[in-house]
Amino acid sequence: MNATSTARSGSGPNGREVVVTGIGLALPGVGTYGDLLGPLPGEGGFDPATGLVGRELRHKDRASRLALRAAEFALHDAGLTDADAMFTGAADSTAVLVSTNWGNADSVCEAVDTIATAGVTGLSPLGLPQTSSNVIAGWVAIRYRLRGPNLTVSNGVTSGLDAVAWARNLITAGRAEAAVVVGVEPGNHVVTKILGEQSTDAAVAVVLEPADAAASRGARPSATIAGYARSRNLAEALASTGATEGGPVGLWLTDGTESAGAGAGRLLAAMRRIDLESQLGPLSGALGVLQCATAAAHLASGAAGNVLATVGGPRHDATAALLLTPPPPALRPSMQERGQHP
Amino acid sequence: MTWDITGMAAVANIGASPEEIFAALCAGQESRKPLKAFDPDKYRAAYAYEIDDRPEGGGDIPLRATRWLTTVVRQAVADTGLDEDLSQIPVLVGTTMREQRSLELWWRDDAEVVLEDLHFGTALKAAFGASTTYTFANACSASLYALGVATDMIDLGLADTVVVAGTDAATEGGFGTLDRVQNDLPDALRPFDVTHKGMLIGEGAAAVVVQRAGTGSGPVHARVRGVSMGCDAHHATAPDPDGITRAVLDAHRRAGVRASDIDLVMLHGSGTPLNDTTESSVLRQIFQGAGAGPRMTAIKAMTGHTLGGSGLLSLVMAVLAMKEGTVPPVLGLTDPIPEAAGLGLVQGSPVSGDLAIAQVDAFGFGGINAVAIVEAAR
Repeated sequence: MNATSTARSGSGPNGREVVVTGIGLALPGVGTYGDLLGPLPGEGGFDPATGLVGRELRHKDRASRLALRAAEFALHDAGLTDADAMFTGAADSTAVLVSTNWGNADSVCEAVDTIATAGVTGLSPLGLPQTSSNVIAGWVAIRYRLRGPNLTVSNGVTSGLDAVAWARNLITAGRAEAAVVVGVEPGNHVVTKILGEQSTDAAVAVVLEPADAAASRGARPSATIAGYARSRNLAEALASTGATEGGPVGLWLTDGTESAGAGAGRLLAAMRRIDLESQLGPLSGALGVLQCATAAAHLASGAAGNVLATVGGPRHDATAALLLTPPPPALRPSMQERGQHP
Repeated sequence: MTWDITGMAAVANIGASPEEIFAALCAGQESRKPLKAFDPDKYRAAYAYEIDDRPEGGGDIPLRATRWLTTVVRQAVADTGLDEDLSQIPVLVGTTMREQRSLELWWRDDAEVVLEDLHFGTALKAAFGASTTYTFANACSASLYALGVATDMIDLGLADTVVVAGTDAATEGGFGTLDRVQNDLPDALRPFDVTHKGMLIGEGAAAVVVQRAGTGSGPVHARVRGVSMGCDAHHATAPDPDGITRAVLDAHRRAGVRASDIDLVMLHGSGTPLNDTTESSVLRQIFQGAGAGPRMTAIKAMTGHTLGGSGLLSLVMAVLAMKEGTVPPVLGLTDPIPEAAGLGLVQGSPVSGDLAIAQVDAFGFGGINAVAIVEAAR
């Protein structure tokens, strides 16, 4: 995962390929993940006013509720839940990863406001879980009894891509047999003030599994996680990811940071680009996971070329890059058979 | 497989280096102080275990957790004998609160904080040129989780050297909510004693440099034998004996040790009745029939609960305990809870012994547990 990363080929470290087998969105303006290929925002999509209610969402912070919905849709899409929406996979060895930067920022700031105006007795004891940023991953694990490693990545703009890469690491290291990766940010006045622009609700989840395990249970992978790096600049990230030496890249998911060095500029000049944040607003910790979902949509559509996702640049502490390639041929789905969820 | 610990650093209320902190633990003088960070009139809790580095005249300043982080990373890297250029070396940070204290100060008091400073990666880039940096917000098991995934990185061939750190500064929201939910407020953190009432916040940071076995150029402090990482998937804040049992047994399995091989347990020991009864009941089961059983101690009695970095701080103290052949006592432990009967809790004064293998417990909100097994380098 560093600049000298060995993770250059389709197979992950240790040779086990990791594939995307499910996608779930709780994202206003995006109906199905096929719509991520644009233009956005479209008609319909997730409505927080009606989608964030229900008994199991009571007494939870907004980010946790959004994440629970996205995870529910992704596990359903992966075929890992039964008619009662209970998890049917190997719960003891399924990991949960959450990427979020501002998930509990509203809880933090509202708590200090309450202490200032009403004192400690004004606080609700129900607010205890969300004093810690890992509250979201805890609730997702509890909902589906997922007892594998539970990791919250709060790593700035690259968090989503980082979380996908760490999920692959946990699987290839033998720590987990599957992983639910959620990228989530809530839209609220605290996040809007932090970002200096209007924040939006955004949650997306992807399910990752080893290719062989996915094949043996008849799952339909849409993409392979083929390479990743977090480096000092885009050129170095691309080289470490393997994007410069693999097959042709057909789609570049960018965050609008056009900071390519000369070599990367030539590589990327001609290809199709999608900047999700320019269409949907700031996505922060949700961005990288949403890029992963968008890449899967591109690859599932049968469009040509691999997909490269990049986030970060000179205004940030690093640039991360994730390379996604088609799943092993025998496992590739057709568009007709893909679910249209949610 | 084992991994070498070749560099260590730590800062806490009772010392600015691992050696200072260890000496203070062995000396066993009361270390709690009247609350300074926040307006004491607003809270029932009157004491904390703060690092006393705020400006004279009161008031809090932002980015203290970041400053401790860069300090311990610099010192751990120097201890290993490596250059300060970390452009090719991953840095993994475990934390509960991240820079939430700075967020609070910005929100309430318009403190000068820019958005990028709320991410630890910004300071790690500025101080060390590091780009392969990760912050894991994994509550109070965060730094042992970070250690676990660091060993995975080395296993997977992604790195030969990884810096692992943990840091946390007290937040007003965290302190206040704890005050709100603890019925009978503790005036000291007294793990495993019948007088224990709950936990009090501490502040601190710790760092270690972990290297692929045999690849470092300097001396090896200790070896990591294995780190387990799991989740109870049971309750948002309460511990679960089943989940903790699984974490301990998985750590033993990964390390290739039996319960009877463990000489020392660094307890999570947060001082809440629920944690202490759960942890001691689980350990009684696990060490039942394992001979005399290991010595056990709990450093939060003197450091307070240093949250995300607390697991790694316990681990660094375990390494020094094995080097010195000395286990510091649990400050204030005179009358252990019934669930802890038969456990080798060290009381009163340090005990000496031949210590080869230590177990380090760290349990966090969200039911996330991590347990590390470390071995003395001989």
